[in-house]
Amino acid sequence: MRLQSVMHMRNVISLQDVSFRFPDDEMPVFEHVNFDVRAGERVVITGPSGCGKSSLLYLLNRLYPENCDGIVSGTVELFEQPASMYVPGEINRRIATVFQDPDSQFCMQTVEEELAFTLENMKVPAAEINARIQKVLKETGLESFRESVIQTLSGGQKQRVATACAWVLEPEILLLDEPLTHLDPVTAQDFVKWLKHLHEKGNLTVIAIDHQVDMWGDFFDREWQMVSGKHLEPALIREPLRSGEVAIDAKELAVEPIVSPAAFTLKKGEIAVLAGPNGSGKSTLIKALCGLKSTGGSVSPERIGYVPQSPEFLFITKSVREELSFGGGSGIDEVLKRLYLDEVSESNPFAVSHGQKRRTAIGAMLCDGRPVITMDEPTAGQDAAALRELENLIIARANEGVTFLIATHDMTFADRIADSLLLLCAGELSGPYLPQTVWKNHELLERHHLLAPSGGESCDQPHESFG
Amino acid sequence: MINRMNPSVKFVMITVSMIAMAFFFNPWTPLVFFMGVVLIQLLFATVSWKTWSLMMLPFLLGAVGYFWTTLVFGNEDSTLGTALSLSFRVLAFSSLSLLFVFTTKPVEFILSLMQQLKLSPKIAYSILVGYQFLPVLKDEFFQIRQAQQLRGVEVPKSPVKRVTAMRHLLIPMLAGAVRKAERTAFAMEARGFTGEGDRDFYRKITIGRADAAGSLLILVLLCGSMAAGWLL
Repeated sequence: MRLQSVMHMRNVISLQDVSFRFPDDEMPVFEHVNFDVRAGERVVITGPSGCGKSSLLYLLNRLYPENCDGIVSGTVELFEQPASMYVPGEINRRIATVFQDPDSQFCMQTVEEELAFTLENMKVPAAEINARIQKVLKETGLESFRESVIQTLSGGQKQRVATACAWVLEPEILLLDEPLTHLDPVTAQDFVKWLKHLHEKGNLTVIAIDHQVDMWGDFFDREWQMVSGKHLEPALIREPLRSGEVAIDAKELAVEPIVSPAAFTLKKGEIAVLAGPNGSGKSTLIKALCGLKSTGGSVSPERIGYVPQSPEFLFITKSVREELSFGGGSGIDEVLKRLYLDEVSESNPFAVSHGQKRRTAIGAMLCDGRPVITMDEPTAGQDAAALRELENLIIARANEGVTFLIATHDMTFADRIADSLLLLCAGELSGPYLPQTVWKNHELLERHHLLAPSGGESCDQPHESFG
Repeated sequence: MINRMNPSVKFVMITVSMIAMAFFFNPWTPLVFFMGVVLIQLLFATVSWKTWSLMMLPFLLGAVGYFWTTLVFGNEDSTLGTALSLSFRVLAFSSLSLLFVFTTKPVEFILSLMQQLKLSPKIAYSILVGYQFLPVLKDEFFQIRQAQQLRGVEVPKSPVKRVTAMRHLLIPMLAGAVRKAERTAFAMEARGFTGEGDRDFYRKITIGRADAAGSLLILVLLCGSMAAGWLL
């Protein structure tokens, strides 16, 4: 019904045969794109990383081409006028944007100041600003956060504040640039619910980019695949655990007051996933395991590998090869080959792709003689192809006998690779569990802010899949 | 009262006082001025004296050092008077700066610079964003250091080597900071920030009676200390 009424609306956005490239690149970011959005529509744009989704979005709010001197061909029309007709700042009143990273889209200290900043930009008279702030806080249900310092809020709260900052402009179009990436699944679902509720108050057009369309339920009227997904490399076969040898044994591991004493063992070649809500102490536990935090209790072996979410934090040298050999290990060439790093072995580790950076980090850990590797949130913001690459990387190493402990929210990912699950909630560690038993246990899932993997619900109601 | 003064007015008054001080070479002017500043702080400003004393300590040591070196190693012209003058001057300048620092909120200072002294919003908001980033950068700094410790990068004992070893930390940190800065700039622009000068401010930093009174107070002190220099 809604869709039908939308059909008769005018196009608010119309791209015809649009190509875009950065001035220094020879290859265009995207070519010959045709894309129309009607007023009131809710569209999600999907496509693999690097296909130019973000660049396209930035053409719609006029961040591009000015900010990058990009070269655009074809016609970009916003509200039935050529985009270049709008002076800087003019279009941003009508097209508002919420970005991906909750930590880098604010410039003032408190929520009130941030909203006022936005309204000042729009040249709203100072006398009206207070009323406008009150109105938007009421509509978004954020009244109690008016005086809050933004940096002290959680990721989900920050994304709501960012949305309120967009909402306060009373825009006609709302652009969302992967707003769920840094949220845990339950927080993300709450955010979508909240946004849906908010959306009912004013029938505006929404254009979003997101890898995880599932998360949004029935929020969108239509999905537009900008580029069809890259061909996924075939999934590697996981070999069953052979030896019962214990690879890591943690006893009474505690970091006061964040992590209560915890004990667990993992076997050689085991892949364990550590899950729990944001702020439950996952990163702290991992750092404690690696000896980066002073702890009570003991961990054997002493040397445990660690790959942070930004692998480049580990890099010290000027080439991938030196990075691997930094710890004085041997067998560098073999590891380079096994991790498909030989072609970039002489490149600067800061300059290679994200996947290669991660492989370099893992390679460095292996060459340092750390056969147990912990990873902190390696799945955030990864598209399907990158996730498959990551899965294969981990499975291949595990088949060789490397043990993994991976902190992640992504239970679909966990379902595909994990042998066991460790759950952390407010510093209390439980497990290891078999993944399948966790997917069926609603109480456990809820307490740890997890969603059963998509397709996992079928375990609960096996009859439905036959219907 | 000093806390309630407009930051720009305060800034201008304090700068004027400092420049004026620079022309007096007798020991009395800076001494009287220093005592006056402490008195103003005592009577008209709310300052944590504990932190103040701690911050004053290095300056006090510096003042004593000046006094000693001028007296012992200075040429024949330098007398007890010049030595005292120099060390009191250190005290006067530092107490005045601390008075400003301890009674002014940084965010208000920037807003006031923009509203009263017409600092360009582009620069002012960049400073504000940078100010928000400081705690984030600090976190990142420790994370990178931990990650690199794991790889066996030792923190050297000698301070010189420690500084040169910092470059390993700075490269990943700068790479991250550039990315963050770009994202924030985009977010600001997407909210219609153009950096134009004609803004109407929601939070107005005003000039009021406290400013007249505070300025008068500083002027009286300045004239008084000058007079003390001539008379004594």
